[in-house]
Amino acid sequence: MKYRLKYQSRTFGLYIGLATVLGVGLIVLLVMGPRWLATVPQAEIATTATAPAAEARKIRARLFYVDEQGTGLTGVEREVLYGEGTIEQAKRIVEAQIAAPPEPLASAIPPGTALRRVFFTKAGDMYVDLSPELRQNHPGGTTNEILTVYAIVSVLTTNLPAVTGVQILIDGKEVDTLAGHLDLRRPIERDPKWITN
Amino acid sequence: MRSRRIRYHALAIGLALTLAGAIGDLLFAQGGTPITVLSREGRRTLPAVEVQNRQMVGLDDLGNLFQLQIREDTAAHAVTATYKNQTIVLTPDQSLVSASGRLVSLPSPLVRRSNRWLVPVEFINRALAPIYDVKLDFRADSRLLVVGDLRVPRLTTQYDDTPSSLRVTFEITPRFNATVTQEQNRLLVSVDADALDASLTAPPQQGLLGALRLADANTIQMDLGQRFSSFRTLPATSRGAASVITVELLAAAATESTTGPAATPPPAATASPVPATPLPVFVGAARPTLRTIVIDPGHGGEDTGVKGPAGASEKELTMAIARRLKGAIEGRLGMRVLLTHEGDNRIGADARAALANNNKADLFISLHANGSPRPATRGATIFTLSLDRVGEDARRQSQADSAVLPVFGGGSREVSLVEWELAQAKHLDGSNAFAGIVEERMRAMGGLTSVALQRVPMRDLAGTNMPAVLIELGYLSNPDDEKLLTSAEFQNGIAVALTDAIATFKDHVEGTPDAPPPAP
Repeated sequence: MKYRLKYQSRTFGLYIGLATVLGVGLIVLLVMGPRWLATVPQAEIATTATAPAAEARKIRARLFYVDEQGTGLTGVEREVLYGEGTIEQAKRIVEAQIAAPPEPLASAIPPGTALRRVFFTKAGDMYVDLSPELRQNHPGGTTNEILTVYAIVSVLTTNLPAVTGVQILIDGKEVDTLAGHLDLRRPIERDPKWITN
Repeated sequence: MRSRRIRYHALAIGLALTLAGAIGDLLFAQGGTPITVLSREGRRTLPAVEVQNRQMVGLDDLGNLFQLQIREDTAAHAVTATYKNQTIVLTPDQSLVSASGRLVSLPSPLVRRSNRWLVPVEFINRALAPIYDVKLDFRADSRLLVVGDLRVPRLTTQYDDTPSSLRVTFEITPRFNATVTQEQNRLLVSVDADALDASLTAPPQQGLLGALRLADANTIQMDLGQRFSSFRTLPATSRGAASVITVELLAAAATESTTGPAATPPPAATASPVPATPLPVFVGAARPTLRTIVIDPGHGGEDTGVKGPAGASEKELTMAIARRLKGAIEGRLGMRVLLTHEGDNRIGADARAALANNNKADLFISLHANGSPRPATRGATIFTLSLDRVGEDARRQSQADSAVLPVFGGGSREVSLVEWELAQAKHLDGSNAFAGIVEERMRAMGGLTSVALQRVPMRDLAGTNMPAVLIELGYLSNPDDEKLLTSAEFQNGIAVALTDAIATFKDHVEGTPDAPPPAP
């Protein structure tokens, strides 16, 4: 009897403890949940949802490199890793675009540039957050800057129909310009005049 | 008794010797022409004396000026001047001195006058300069001692007169840019230098030019005579290592018959007469004019812009061309010209636009040099702003939004309400028209392999509330373009071409009958 009472009180204590933990967790979830949902970018949600097995698949995408004249971009079909959903696919495409291309292709993206994050809005604007090397290693000049920016804008707007505008962020922050010329304060739309073929 | 007489004799001889010494000093040490010492701290005067037809300066004065420790070593029968760890040893009656162990010859030895040690002025360049850690440059002809890395070119004048005009030629060595502006009854020739080593001669007295003098460290003032009517500045040329600036003063009768780009009088002189009745309320825009130009030399400070393969930097290039262009516009068109920045400093896009907006500029020209991943890419490009969705909305809105605000002193005026970030939106037609004129002039000047027009969302142009263009003068990433852009000939040529373009655009804006149609 004594043992049973002892057992019952122990079980009761366990229930009480479990209920307290669940209650506190529920309150925290109710209070903080909306904030987390608001701040966690879609890119991260999409990343966690991606199945590792899908990484091996590849798609054909049009990437953009400096043309022979050095004043425009030329499109080249290349294989890019498959990504589940617009955001994940955008990451794979940008990663392929900023990687050093094989000869004789010339990249307009400064060496050392890495992709940090990608965000996508319902309005069709994609925010591409790149590492500081994009600016630090940039050689300057309006044409260089145009080619760098429009290579990223074009690769996303050409391969992902849902994307209508692209804004470049550097190290997580909005920037005025990349090298002192092009206005990067708002998303930039695709401009076919920079694509020569 | 005898000893007293001897004492009297000794006293008399002493007095006589002292008197003779003083008379000798007076005879042989006359007042010399003082030397002007120029340094970053300003101007100072170094007194000089003339001893036996030789200009000399006091060692004590040099000691005070250059922190020298002057010591007299009676045992060694020498005088030493020490600066930090280096010593100059001078010996009276010897023209050779030792400057930190190196023997240097002077035109005359150290002398003592009135308890002061004097050295010939050549001592500065030959003995003091080699041991001093700051550059010393004594120019005997102009009595100028330049201390430090100051830019002090020599400037000489020449006159070439006819009955109806007078050409004043300024030769500046080494080459420096100069601008000519009119201020009431005088012309100011401002040389882009720290100071001038000027040798000015009197002008011929024919009533066009009264006198020529230094207005300040780097500006020559030309006092205009009674017969003066207008002036023009001829394109700058070079003669050997010198740049040549020629200002032609025209007499009243000669002005009408003169063809070519005669300078207009300053805006103040041509301003509308003040109405006798009080100003009415005025609503609506005034007649468009072109009076103030803002030139924006691209980049600056740590933002060097593009670097050429031979080392040319975009920020230095744009500043050099901006200064030439400023001089050309002021000299030929008499307009007010401002640069967004004068020194080597980094300023943001909004600050550049703000300077133009706050000074109510009528035209904004941003100068840049381009860069491409392909080293073979060459040519110039003229950019105007292209608008995105937001910009197009702003453009439509800018035509409609305005407010009537009270004006100080009574009355009111209509003010357009423009979103700062998109102020350029309503000036795009003017900007594109000017870009077209610039393209035409740049093609005509030659030298450039191509000149293109482009419309791009340019950050520097977005906030400017007047017609605005950004000109990429060529590709610094290309060795041939780099050579071209850094040459004085091209820089003068582009200054002339852009001044021509501004003159044409002025006619277009102000509605001169023979103005060309706006560019597409």
